Amino acid sequence: MNDGPGLQEFHPPLNRMLVAILALLGLLVALYMSAYAAGLTGPVLCNVGNCEAVQSSPYSRVAGIPVAYFGAVGYSILLAVSLLGLQPGRRDSTVIPLALFWGGFVGVAFSAYLTYLEAFVIHAWCQWCVSSAVITVLAFLASIPELKRMGGPS
Amino acid sequence: MSNGNAGGSLRRFYVVFAVVAAVGLGAVGYSVLGKARGSAVSVPVDLAGAVDGQELFEMAVPVTIGDEDAPATIIVFADYLCNHCSIFALQIKPLVEETFVATGQARLVYYDWPLNPTLGSFLAARAARCAGDQGQFWEYHKVLMRNQLTWGRLEDKIPTFEDYAEDLGIDRGEFRGCLNSDRHAQEITANMQLAQNLRLGGTPTILIGTGDGQSRRLPDYSFQTIQAVMEEILGG
Repeated sequence: MNDGPGLQEFHPPLNRMLVAILALLGLLVALYMSAYAAGLTGPVLCNVGNCEAVQSSPYSRVAGIPVAYFGAVGYSILLAVSLLGLQPGRRDSTVIPLALFWGGFVGVAFSAYLTYLEAFVIHAWCQWCVSSAVITVLAFLASIPELKRMGGPS
Repeated sequence: MSNGNAGGSLRRFYVVFAVVAAVGLGAVGYSVLGKARGSAVSVPVDLAGAVDGQELFEMAVPVTIGDEDAPATIIVFADYLCNHCSIFALQIKPLVEETFVATGQARLVYYDWPLNPTLGSFLAARAARCAGDQGQFWEYHKVLMRNQLTWGRLEDKIPTFEDYAEDLGIDRGEFRGCLNSDRHAQEITANMQLAQNLRLGGTPTILIGTGDGQSRRLPDYSFQTIQAVMEEILGG
């Protein structure tokens, strides 16, 4: 079976695969927390930390919107961009490296702020929030090779 | 990597991606549709080990109105099944708000103290917090206080609590989900524990705090008593 001309000439960047898998994991975490915030689940599953304290705090919402919703949107965008970057013909796009790198950077900055709130303001940890923060940092690290691609075709 | 390997690696990636997505979405779906859907927590919960005074103070989460920098803080501990708390909430609190909170002289700080948790006041406190998640804590607080003789007698209070929420324009589904969980149970338990540690006598208990960290417990909850102490604090 022939893979088609595009696929045969294309070497999918491994770092984008990694970003896609991490964004998927982050999206799943964000979807679970969004479902909890929307009242669709029972008590939040929390073996480590005190998720209820974090999720009940006023900092769990921004302008009345649960933080988890922002996470779901952010991870969805990151996932879509990373999957797009795996398509034949998109390797040399200059937009995808920019979106992956700066999207990851914004994610890390937002996660750092939320982690700061957990540590110094709420004084409680939520395993899902920490997991999301770790995923965001890993996705950002995986996006660093995109810096080399920002200038266009190499 | 050869061209053939390139296509193969992409295929392997999609297989891994699909497996992770299927397992993850299955888990999230189970939590929404399956047994993870819990029942309403209507009694105090374990505060996870020994809690010292400072820790408890941080875990206790009041609901507040007014300027954070106001010179005085009027602290209220109340129970939704207490008749005098209803009188305070419906008759005295509006006066306190108008006279001291709206004028920036005091901040009102409300702590739950369900003295009869198993009779429904703990669940009621959680219901008010769930309404608060949708920005309607005080409106719901007033409804509960006004109707305490109605819902207090019911065996199954949840449908009535949901009706109250819907009447206020609160999203019933989100409210139900909050109520049918353990949400806010910990902070209300901490509020109760705080009241017990402070050895407060009963509900409603009113304390007035001044900027220097001192607070004075009032002998009663009348507006005249609150006004007299406020005048003393502000005048002094």
